[in-house]
Amino acid sequence: MRVIQLVVLGIGTGAFLLLATLGFALVRRVEGFLNIAHAELMSVAAFTTWYLNTELGWHFLLAGAVALALTGVLSLMIARLIYDPIKHLGPAILLITSVGVAFLLHGVTAAVVGVGIRSFTIPRLSAFTVGGVLITPYRLVLLGLAAVASIALALFLNKTRTGKSIRAMAINRDLAGSRGVDIDAASRATWFASGVLAGLGGIALGILGTLTTDIAFQQILVILAVAIVAGLGSLYGVIAAAFIVALAMDLSLLILPGGYRPVVAFAIVILVLLFRPEGVAGQKGRAAA
Amino acid sequence: MNWGQFAITVVTLVSIFGVVTLVLNMQYGQAGMINFGVVAYFAAGAYTYILLTQAPPSETSLDQYVIGLELPVWVGFIGAALAGLVFAAITGWPTLRLRGEYLALTTFAFAEVFHSFIVNEQRFANGTRGLVGVPRPYREQITFIDYDIALAIGALVFLVIVFVIFERIVQSPYGRSLEALRDDELALTTVGKRTSRFRLEVFLFTAPFAAMAGAFYVWFTTLAIPDLFTAEVTFIVWIALIVGGEASNRGALIGITLVVVFEELVRTIPFKTIRGAQIAAELEVAALGILLIVFLRWQPFAALTRATRRLVR
Repeated sequence: MRVIQLVVLGIGTGAFLLLATLGFALVRRVEGFLNIAHAELMSVAAFTTWYLNTELGWHFLLAGAVALALTGVLSLMIARLIYDPIKHLGPAILLITSVGVAFLLHGVTAAVVGVGIRSFTIPRLSAFTVGGVLITPYRLVLLGLAAVASIALALFLNKTRTGKSIRAMAINRDLAGSRGVDIDAASRATWFASGVLAGLGGIALGILGTLTTDIAFQQILVILAVAIVAGLGSLYGVIAAAFIVALAMDLSLLILPGGYRPVVAFAIVILVLLFRPEGVAGQKGRAAA
Repeated sequence: MNWGQFAITVVTLVSIFGVVTLVLNMQYGQAGMINFGVVAYFAAGAYTYILLTQAPPSETSLDQYVIGLELPVWVGFIGAALAGLVFAAITGWPTLRLRGEYLALTTFAFAEVFHSFIVNEQRFANGTRGLVGVPRPYREQITFIDYDIALAIGALVFLVIVFVIFERIVQSPYGRSLEALRDDELALTTVGKRTSRFRLEVFLFTAPFAAMAGAFYVWFTTLAIPDLFTAEVTFIVWIALIVGGEASNRGALIGITLVVVFEELVRTIPFKTIRGAQIAAELEVAALGILLIVFLRWQPFAALTRATRRLVR
């Protein structure tokens, strides 16, 4: 029984992880580096929503929509001003720079928001049981949100012209450019989409529980785990990885104290990097090394 | 404010974190290996020192730790170095296969796992409450000089020793092999060097110094709580290295001096409200972020600190 309960919990966690990782994985695939600042963008969205919703009394959905637009634009601006000019220095320098961006975003967010625990003003929905398994309605909402976001991203990448440009660019930037793909436009779309997805992840975080300014940094660790497990494969790899990591973390509660949940994610990172660096869905010899 | 005390604090902290920056410079600046888990050696050294030297847990106190060997200070210090070595051996073997950002992630993951262990395992070091009131070594013997000054001098001497050792290594043929490891691993392989051996060796011979710096750090703070050993330490050291210009030991020291002076100056600003102090602390984090971004992009001190060498790409 406890196992089934934890699996249900894990599916909810997986939905959140998927939302949090989609944008990160997109940037990693297209722009070729690990953007540590992604989690801080989540935090910006969460606190913008909180401010508009709880402090100014806006409707939650409106507040959320404004926050998503804001993180989309912010993501685009950061990319243009900070990442693009140093692209030639390689993924390692970009990674370290993104740590600087994370510091910057974190410092500003925390200075503005201050200490304390915050939460959205949304209706309190009580949990119900199905066959003895406790189900939290908001976790179902997240699952729906994650499904919608994944399908929307899949349709965008597969059906639209910009989406196809992004995929072409992810495979071979120079070739795509020389074949007439508008690389700058595709790059802008990537950053904007990634920012909006980070925003969704941040709002999901606020729906799941309460917010503190330190919450984002704790998430980047797990996001990295999901992205590494997913490898540089497709969107489906990210979906699989989000649920694998989430289930592993939540099922670990059977044998380990709760404080070790992040450790489980990290143990997975280490194992994957050592034994299958291309990730669950990647092809051999493409990633790592 | 008391500038004398300020100077003593700065010298002590620069010396302690300077050693960690030199370690990172050897790993990243010289050998090109991105280590995002430097704090783990530092923490391993600090905690090992305490476990070896502290008194056994008493029945009456609230302490939950189980190890306290009451060994002499010098045994604790050597033990700290060995702990760094062991941790480097554990985290070092992945380096034989991983490069670049994947190495960064693995080292980061190892450090976070270790941090989680310290936080969650009450029996190791009281969990989040940590170990407080760590005795300062040779407290009774040092009567002729203020203890803080003595500790600052001790830390500075340690820094100078590490600096001299590392300078010699950099200038030796071995040091040039490490630079080749960074710049062109294939070339190093073709001249018959085993690159994987170098990669492991760099981790092994540098980590003990960071661990010993960890022991100095608990002498300075007289406590070891998990909050002192977060990923922030790693990133502060990274910022220092980038600001000073990587691949230069002198640059590393310039960088850490600037960062420590900056941090301590912010700390001395008197605030009327707690909110004001909190804003300043957070803006300090933001400012460090800006420093990292700006210095990575323009590398203003690079020309100053290593005029004759080309930039690391």
